[in-house]
Amino acid sequence: MSENAVDFNDVAKNFGPVRAVDGLSMTIERGETVALLGPNGAGKSTAANLLLGLLRPTAGRVTVLGARPDESVAAGRVGAMLQDGGLMPGVSVAALVGLARALYPHPRPLADLLVEADLTGIANRRADRLSGGQAQRLRFAMAIAGDPDLLVLDEPTTAMDVEARQAFWANVRGYAAHGTTVLFATHYLEEADENADRIVVVAHGRVVIDGTPSKIKSTAGQQRVRFTLGDESIAGLDRLPGVTAVDLRGPSVTLRTTDAEATVRALFAARDRVPDIEVHGADLEDAFLALTR
Amino acid sequence: MSTLLRLEIRRMLTDTRFLILMLAMPIAMYLLFSTIFAGTPPVNGMSEAVRDMISMAAFGAIGAALMATAPRIAQERTNGWLRQLRIMPVSTGQVITAKVLAAMTWGLPAIVLVDLTAVVAHGVTMPAWQWVAIGGLLWLGTAPFAALGTFLGYLTGGESAFGVTYGIYLFLAALGGLWMPVTILPTALQHIATVLPSNRFAELGWRIAGGAAPTLVDAAMLAGWLVVFTGLAGVLYRRSNALR
Repeated sequence: MSENAVDFNDVAKNFGPVRAVDGLSMTIERGETVALLGPNGAGKSTAANLLLGLLRPTAGRVTVLGARPDESVAAGRVGAMLQDGGLMPGVSVAALVGLARALYPHPRPLADLLVEADLTGIANRRADRLSGGQAQRLRFAMAIAGDPDLLVLDEPTTAMDVEARQAFWANVRGYAAHGTTVLFATHYLEEADENADRIVVVAHGRVVIDGTPSKIKSTAGQQRVRFTLGDESIAGLDRLPGVTAVDLRGPSVTLRTTDAEATVRALFAARDRVPDIEVHGADLEDAFLALTR
Repeated sequence: MSTLLRLEIRRMLTDTRFLILMLAMPIAMYLLFSTIFAGTPPVNGMSEAVRDMISMAAFGAIGAALMATAPRIAQERTNGWLRQLRIMPVSTGQVITAKVLAAMTWGLPAIVLVDLTAVVAHGVTMPAWQWVAIGGLLWLGTAPFAALGTFLGYLTGGESAFGVTYGIYLFLAALGGLWMPVTILPTALQHIATVLPSNRFAELGWRIAGGAAPTLVDAAMLAGWLVVFTGLAGVLYRRSNALR
């Protein structure tokens, strides 16, 4: 159990002149839950395809569970949910979950899988007659059918409604709790923030920053100080210590700052009153936008 | 793998259009041809009704094998099922074998139904061993066509798969002597016919109906085509799963 779950070693993948992945390096240890976060076109899906053996790198090396990606997949150690994975038409939901079970060496009981993916109600429906969210739940059941060591999820909740999404992540956390390594690609900031131990932010095919959600926020995010300005002018606010931006909206003004404490101290020194003052911690959205620009 | 095979067979039960086309058409064509050529004298001890029966059974079996594989596989490439298979622990060999065997299974009803029609419509009789031998050999002989259909499915794009496959189907049937006897064709085309798997396939049945055994050449050619098409299908399957 000493091998890493995933190793990307300076990996590049070109499609003609397009460098979809451009010197990507990252390591995921066994048991971690990691989010691959980035805007569309960042290279997340390409990275997922590389680590599933669907693509071969133009340069560099991808190692999954100590072996080549296709070897680990063939050994039944990897379960994956593809963004554009299809389903076999003409057969039932239960039949397809049964097929996944039959292919893996250590499958989980069918009843458990149907319950976890919330498929018991539609177990006998044909796979080509499912809604988007139902199809995603089916693909999730097929991904976990073999109790894999590594679970790879590419944009897993795009078609799900809020309840389904919450139930989905509750399930995934359950898997992570019993030792499964989970890697999910997403462009939803909150999803990464709420469900990952670690976030790898990618843009333009390479890693921009790699760390825990709070580390990323504190490194690249900025704090905000907001108060009611009323009729006063904003002159001089931008010269306060730490302030990088001044944003006036109606009666209240928001100051972006790299050092909230210094800014607040200076505010109180310069003014008699600072009504409705609020100080907010770094926002992942700001961090993300700043990093991926 | 057996689960995959079972599913491949079962899914065709839900495709009524396929079932009607592949089962009803050979019967209809048999009735048509056997009526048109009713006056033809027997050849090699084989009556025209029997010759047509074997031709149409072969025609139906080839059609079932081709149309059960190629259009479906092309659709699977488009709708993403192929990618889903590739991320599960199932090998290229298993996927293709399941497809080929499932398609062969669906060749059998075509053969049986045409045989039944011949008995009912024209009172065709043969010694029991001939029925079994012809049916069995024709069923086995669908393998190269199932492999051909699989290959075509991975070769063609989603839209064109049906048309291309159907065109090849008709070409194989016409030039293989399944509609008109090969002797009617110009000499140059007759030489081509003897290489075509469709012709060799029907020969299996025709020779038995004439009281002889199929030749080694027939078997060898069909086996050869099977190897070629299966190999090509395997190569294309691996390559078709690369995204771009």
